[in-house]
Amino acid sequence: MLSGTASLDALAARAPVMPSLEPEPAVFEDTEVLQAAFEMSYASRGAGLPPGLHPTTPPLMVVLVWRVPGGQWGPFTLCQARISCRSGVRPRGFVAACVTDSEQAATALSSGWGFPCRVGSVRLERAYDCVSLDAGPALGLTGLDPDPLHPGDVQYTVTTTLAHTPRGLRLVQVEPEYDLRRVERVRPRMDHFAPDRWAAPGLDPRHPVTATIGVGTLSIPRLRYVSRPEVPAFEGTEAV
Amino acid sequence: MRFGIFFEMSTPRPFSSATDHLVYHNSLEQARLADELGFDWVWCVEHHFLEEYSHSSAPEVVLAAVAAQTRRIRVGHGAVVCVPEMNHPIRVAERAAVLDIISEGRLEFGTARSSTWTELGGFGVDPDDTKKTWDEFVRVLPRMWADEPFAYQGRCFSMPERNVLPKPVQKPHPPMWVTVTSPGTELDAAARGLGCLGVAATTYAEQERRTKEYHRRIRSCDPVGAMVNDQVTTLNFLYCHEDPGVAARTGMGLVGLFGLNNAHLLWTREAYPTRAYQSLGNLAPGGGSDRSSPGDPRGIPEGIGVGDPDRIVGVIQRWADIGVTGINFLINASEVIPQAEVLASLRLFASEVMPKFPDKVPPHAAVDPPC
Repeated sequence: MLSGTASLDALAARAPVMPSLEPEPAVFEDTEVLQAAFEMSYASRGAGLPPGLHPTTPPLMVVLVWRVPGGQWGPFTLCQARISCRSGVRPRGFVAACVTDSEQAATALSSGWGFPCRVGSVRLERAYDCVSLDAGPALGLTGLDPDPLHPGDVQYTVTTTLAHTPRGLRLVQVEPEYDLRRVERVRPRMDHFAPDRWAAPGLDPRHPVTATIGVGTLSIPRLRYVSRPEVPAFEGTEAV
Repeated sequence: MRFGIFFEMSTPRPFSSATDHLVYHNSLEQARLADELGFDWVWCVEHHFLEEYSHSSAPEVVLAAVAAQTRRIRVGHGAVVCVPEMNHPIRVAERAAVLDIISEGRLEFGTARSSTWTELGGFGVDPDDTKKTWDEFVRVLPRMWADEPFAYQGRCFSMPERNVLPKPVQKPHPPMWVTVTSPGTELDAAARGLGCLGVAATTYAEQERRTKEYHRRIRSCDPVGAMVNDQVTTLNFLYCHEDPGVAARTGMGLVGLFGLNNAHLLWTREAYPTRAYQSLGNLAPGGGSDRSSPGDPRGIPEGIGVGDPDRIVGVIQRWADIGVTGINFLINASEVIPQAEVLASLRLFASEVMPKFPDKVPPHAAVDPPC
């Protein structure tokens, strides 16, 4: 079985600090959620993952965007670059990097849930027949030909981040909940992607798979589990 | 109750020609022994690109070898992926007929549509279409096996008049099955008069519910072929040893490794949202929420064929009581159990367990061909 091969030291150098493992849950109404999947090269399998996680075959990068119109942190848009993986036998999305246009959201998401946020430009725009994501030189993406889908048909994989916690460097299981009232599937097109701008190893999107755009309520609950990133989940999982 | 063995050809890393050779030839030896011991079926799956989990990309070749090396056991082509990008329906009909001839009429013909993005994406298949193409395949294959000549105007393929050759030995045609992973597929099987080839681990209660629904629905089926196959099988693990402790240690190692390999597949629904795949299609035992602790293995489901002979007899009796007519066993995964122990487990099962379950399953019912 394959495991992550990224340098833990290198990942740790970029990992945010979480002063506690007890963030206040957050709820955001009317949030737009874009999820776009791209296969990566086999050569990149595991390259962006710590040894405690396992890559999928084919390796998959998922761009996940939240556009939040308002709430406790004000309006913000967050764009995550995630690598699909397994923790033990559970499907997970490891957040390799993310960018948000809000300092307040960046601070809250980094310190509360371990998202490796940097502040930068990110815009999600919805037109009648397409959706576009502009994260500056780092990423440009278009979703074409929207086709209605039942919200229950979309799977949002549980998130894993890497952070310096009071227990040490840990993989943090974040379980956002999506109560969407409308979802459409779109055909994704990667207009540009600059791996160096993300400063994260193992991101190599090549073959577009599919994308969805939805709107509804996003909840980010309390944390329940963390695990040691250097060993498999069966050995390293701890309840919060 | 009937019993089968079920080959995934799961292969440990590092991959090499020698490793693949070992897995394939160990499987052939297991098939020969199963034939001698009185097992009813040997099934071989079709999968593509599934590293470690299944290197079984050409089951028809394996089954031809099995047919040539055995005398009595039935060969289960289970299951052929019924999407045209992977298998053109004419070629499917031809290969199946040849396999029926080579095996002297021992073919069981399973149908499926694939569950992983790894496979569907690799062949450029639109996941939205697989249920439709599967439905079209199962309706035309019996006609290709019977009609002289055959012509067809359909949605996923069309053909002018041709005689699809050869024709199968079994008349009206080999028994047909559907692999059942997602809840509800058993009703698709029943509505078409097809056997229910379970490939997902379920609880007794869930299987009992599905089996009842299947039998209720198949009574009023509109068969796609010229016969109704009303058998219901489940997939299980088998490791039988006189010492319960040894059985548990070794058998649960098999269950755990298989579950781990299975959990690491990239299921269609995970990569490609579609209403055509309502579940992850997970064959791993126990299921469980994605939000569960990553430190927990999937639970060991009830009804597993691991233990000493007495325990396994009890387990099988329970499956029989809820209407299951056959059980197919995974007997190894990634060579985690040495071949000699796999063979010993089969022998012990055959001598101590099988005699408790004499075959009471009636032959397949022939019906008038559908209009």
